[in-house]
Amino acid sequence: MAFARQDVRLEVEQLSFTYPAGVEALREVSLSIQSGERVAIIGQNGSGKTTLVRHFNGLLRPTRGRVLVGDWDTAAQSVAKLAARVGYVFQNPDDQLFCRNVQEEVAFGPANLGLAGECLQERVRDALKLTGLAGKEGINHYDLSATWRKMVALASILAMDTPIVVFDEPTTGQDAASVERIANIVEELGRRGKTVITITHDIDFCAENFSRVIAMKEGRILLDGSTRRVLAQEELLATTYVEPPQLARLGRRLGFPETVCTQDEFFEAYRSWRPGA
Amino acid sequence: MAIVQVEGLSYTYPLAISPALQDINLSVEQGEFVAVIGANGAGKSTLCYTLAGFIPHFFKGNLQGSARVAGLDTSQTSLAEMVVRVGLVFQNPFNQISGAKFTVYEEIAFGLENIGLGRQEMKNRVEKVMALTGIADLAHRSPYALSGGQQQRVALASILVMEPEVLVLDEPTSQLDPIGTREVFQVIKEMSRQGITIVMAEHKLEWVAEFADRVIALAEGRMLLDGKPREVLVDPALPAGHIGISRYTSLARRATQQGLWPAGRRLPVTLDEAADGFREARRAA
Amino acid sequence: MPENTPQASQDKFSRMPDRLSFYLERGSPFHRLNPLTKLTLVFCLIILAFFGPGYWLPSLLYLAVLIPLSLWSGVGREFMRTSIRLLLPLFGFLFVMQSLFYPGGRTVLVSLWIFAIKAEGIAFAYLTATRILVMVSSFLLLLLGTHPSALMNDFARRGVPAPLTYIIASTLQILPQMQAKAATIIDAQRSRGLETEGGLGKRVRALLPLVGPLVFGSLVDVEERAIALEARAFNSRRVKTSLVEIPDSQVERLARWTMLLLMLLALASRAWLSFKSRV
Repeated sequence: MAFARQDVRLEVEQLSFTYPAGVEALREVSLSIQSGERVAIIGQNGSGKTTLVRHFNGLLRPTRGRVLVGDWDTAAQSVAKLAARVGYVFQNPDDQLFCRNVQEEVAFGPANLGLAGECLQERVRDALKLTGLAGKEGINHYDLSATWRKMVALASILAMDTPIVVFDEPTTGQDAASVERIANIVEELGRRGKTVITITHDIDFCAENFSRVIAMKEGRILLDGSTRRVLAQEELLATTYVEPPQLARLGRRLGFPETVCTQDEFFEAYRSWRPGA
Repeated sequence: MAIVQVEGLSYTYPLAISPALQDINLSVEQGEFVAVIGANGAGKSTLCYTLAGFIPHFFKGNLQGSARVAGLDTSQTSLAEMVVRVGLVFQNPFNQISGAKFTVYEEIAFGLENIGLGRQEMKNRVEKVMALTGIADLAHRSPYALSGGQQQRVALASILVMEPEVLVLDEPTSQLDPIGTREVFQVIKEMSRQGITIVMAEHKLEWVAEFADRVIALAEGRMLLDGKPREVLVDPALPAGHIGISRYTSLARRATQQGLWPAGRRLPVTLDEAADGFREARRAA
Repeated sequence: MPENTPQASQDKFSRMPDRLSFYLERGSPFHRLNPLTKLTLVFCLIILAFFGPGYWLPSLLYLAVLIPLSLWSGVGREFMRTSIRLLLPLFGFLFVMQSLFYPGGRTVLVSLWIFAIKAEGIAFAYLTATRILVMVSSFLLLLLGTHPSALMNDFARRGVPAPLTYIIASTLQILPQMQAKAATIIDAQRSRGLETEGGLGKRVRALLPLVGPLVFGSLVDVEERAIALEARAFNSRRVKTSLVEIPDSQVERLARWTMLLLMLLALASRAWLSFKSRV
């Protein structure tokens, strides 16, 4: 199945946002995400992660500054229209599921985007395969466990085949097999040239699957760079209540000079490591 | 005499085709901290509900075998009597706030009002338990104006205030971030130190390794493993049961394949064990 | 304020739920009155407004009893603002309907095409409006001046069944949370391309995707909350005790009986007056 490679860049320019109740959630945030990047956004709750990401598909409109999705200014488009470029997977699948069966549920999103017929069916089939739901098309979500409902919600967004996909805390409450499946989906999306953005407080999941990390604190960007470089700044990250991933902690304990985030990085550092040196 | 004694327990939910638990045998001594691990759907929650008496009284269904908890037969004893001896805390902090009370203080006292405790005794217990769970400064806040981690601690406090002998927790940190997770584990460890028996279903293996005395692994409703954390968490049967392993274990396993882990040394489940092992391996090299 | 649940940060920051209740903390003597005393007052005022003697009684009750009471309890401005705001639309409607369609009216004031505005209609509209005003605003005053906790505790102490007080208290608290949940559902479905604005057809089609998850989620929540209540011995057969003591005094007890007596006297006097006028 062919996937259109769309080069949609995400630009955030001096974005500030204040909630109606008066809470200033974002202060002059600027960043740029290229097509195909895999970015994790971390930071304590209340730091502005969710607020920032809700601007990407127009759920929130900037108080000041602007957000551009490709050539679209989010302030000028409806959320439904922006859904063609930005798929947003909400944290709680039960906030989305309502159809009679999995097939209809997964078809809902792409149908809203104007797809129909064989093209629509292909998208649905592909999304079901990616999420391990092949064979469960006829089941109603009432009859599925929480883990599978999560997969259905994921599939519903994947089927929309948007160039940018946003995940909101995808691994919360998931078991090991489910986390692995989600990691595989992130990898596959990367392979298809999609931009993947996630909010997560699972620092291990972040370290193992994302190449760029943005750390937020009190409405501003604290750090923005490659995973290794950002996660090495342990003291700074501690101020936004982020702890190092487990492998990094092990590396630090052993005295590795560099921060290691993945098993490969660990073994690479291990080979040149001399204890007590 | 074990405080939890389960024999030949099998259970099928109403309208379900296959059993959620099959032939479970379990014996827990007073004061033990037992973690229950397993893939989603393996029966962890079902086991928790059974120990607390909600199965069969709340969920109905088909229960076979027996479960004795804190001296009470769960099938024969009414739920109202069970909850005084066996406390239950589950995943969703928000749904454990009763909604009946407008301040945290009253919320915690709610259970005590229901069992008819005297006013002074209520106040004593509430204040003691708030200090224990570190939420004394939240006493006059609305329980709905709290973060998830704070709410979960309020839920814990509300159950602990009833002074149960056994505390059953069904993935209490599932929806919490690392800070909230640590706060909850610390409270639970303190309870364990004070002699309360803990049975806790949990996914976060690194925390289990650090805090639990004993680990039980469930797979498809059956007991797969039962033993000490450092044995169960590295057991090769885990992947077959779709249960993950800690990152330290996974790393050391791969290191073993490359000859970088000391031969014959047990695989690590905690940071300390991993560090010791790799240092030893490097020295030997 | 650090928060530990991602979900919480979504709900709290993106949609501020409405105030839980009307209650305003003022510490006035009125606030400190026993809830039953205030309830008795409300009851008497309403009965008097609907069945008491005199055309101008409801207006009098509002101006000479309710407003002074609201000022005394420190909630005057909120009281007047809210009671007028709540009832102005209703009054407008009443006036239009009754002045044009009041049956049995004779005195025509103004004539517009086929519609005639009758004086009796206006008079009736005014009476009905002021009666409703007394009813609604006396409840408003009660709510402004009584913490729901105090109200619920007093109910429980006086033997109102626990399930009933629970339903009232929990509805007050959980409703704003449900609003927040509904808002999240709307956002989630819009993010899947669902159009929520536009013509009737679009809005109707948007109903199921919005209502479905709300109902399903609520069912899940209700079951979990029922489990939580059980775990707190809510269904225990033991006699329940109360943490909080709501004070009551002889003076207030006397005041309550006095109010009831006055009310009965007023009703009796009206009955006597109408009896006299017929004879």
